[in-house]
Amino acid sequence: MSHGFRSAGFRSALKVLAQILLLVLVWWLVSSLSSILPQLPPTVLGIALLLALLGLRVLPTDWLAAGAGFLLREMLLFFIPVVVAVVQYLDLLRSNLPAVLTVILLSTLCVMLVTAWVVDFTWKLEARWRRDEEC
Amino acid sequence: MLSLSALVWLLLTVILYAGARMLYRRYPRTWLSPLIVAPLLLIVLLLVTGSSYKEYNSLSHWLSAMLGPATIAFALPIYEYRGVIRRHWLSLSAGVLAGMITAVLSTVILSRLFGLPVLIERSLAVRSISTPFALAAAPELGGQADLAAIFVVITGLGGMIIGELLLLRFNVRSALARGAMFGAGAHAVGTVTAHRRDPEEGVISSLTMIIAGILMLLTSPWLAGFF
Repeated sequence: MSHGFRSAGFRSALKVLAQILLLVLVWWLVSSLSSILPQLPPTVLGIALLLALLGLRVLPTDWLAAGAGFLLREMLLFFIPVVVAVVQYLDLLRSNLPAVLTVILLSTLCVMLVTAWVVDFTWKLEARWRRDEEC
Repeated sequence: MLSLSALVWLLLTVILYAGARMLYRRYPRTWLSPLIVAPLLLIVLLLVTGSSYKEYNSLSHWLSAMLGPATIAFALPIYEYRGVIRRHWLSLSAGVLAGMITAVLSTVILSRLFGLPVLIERSLAVRSISTPFALAAAPELGGQADLAAIFVVITGLGGMIIGELLLLRFNVRSALARGAMFGAGAHAVGTVTAHRRDPEEGVISSLTMIIAGILMLLTSPWLAGFF
């Protein structure tokens, strides 16, 4: 392995890390803001703020792309402790578990079917209107 | 208070995730998802060693803390695909609205059919939206935040599998409908699945998820009085 290759890899790892830190900083900022204004969830606030900064070109996309890409690719890792938390509720859930699972699965199936159908339907309407406008 | 075992649990979580991810890359089956394999092994290890979740989570909670920064990272793909949103705002809003009404109605009807306690019913009602939104909306609706968090995750896992099965069975023509389906039905877990299928699908899914989350959060105090 050449020295040049290693330092290039090191530089790109540093870049990802710095961009993640930037996102953490923004998250910390909007979380403290929404503790003052509880009706605004930090997720909404954070996305709105970042979109505004990107739209006004205050923040170039290059400053976020590598870090955001990394976090989004590895997002499942961050869910693992939340899933493991089930272990605390094993007793509570045991008696209701079959019913709870049935409700979740059936309801999710309904949601996905309805959403896919409605969007597919309106998408066709949109396409037709667009054609009519062009005629 | 930093204990060695807490550090071991954190490292184990990351290592098992990395291993499960490699396994999944080799054998891409939905039930081999890192979100199923890694937690399952961890739960077995916790039960076998007789360790408490508190012990497990004393450092591992830093991983879940990263969900916040990771969720706002969706701003970037949303910005890059803003043209799609501008063109299809009508389809997206219609899909979110229909999806959320279906989620709440079907949950309440099914829960009552199965005679579930009200607390569980209310915690179930918010489960289609992503964790940060669900945690905030659950108490407004009369549910419990940590129960809701678990239901959110089960929904994500179930929705990931249901979504892939639905797409095998039905021909959903537009990437728009496929993305919205994953976003409305399985929030961030669905979005990760959609993103892996196709980046455009992933963006639509994340957008649907965010709009659905905001809508649910804003309407939950009103919905609570309705049922």
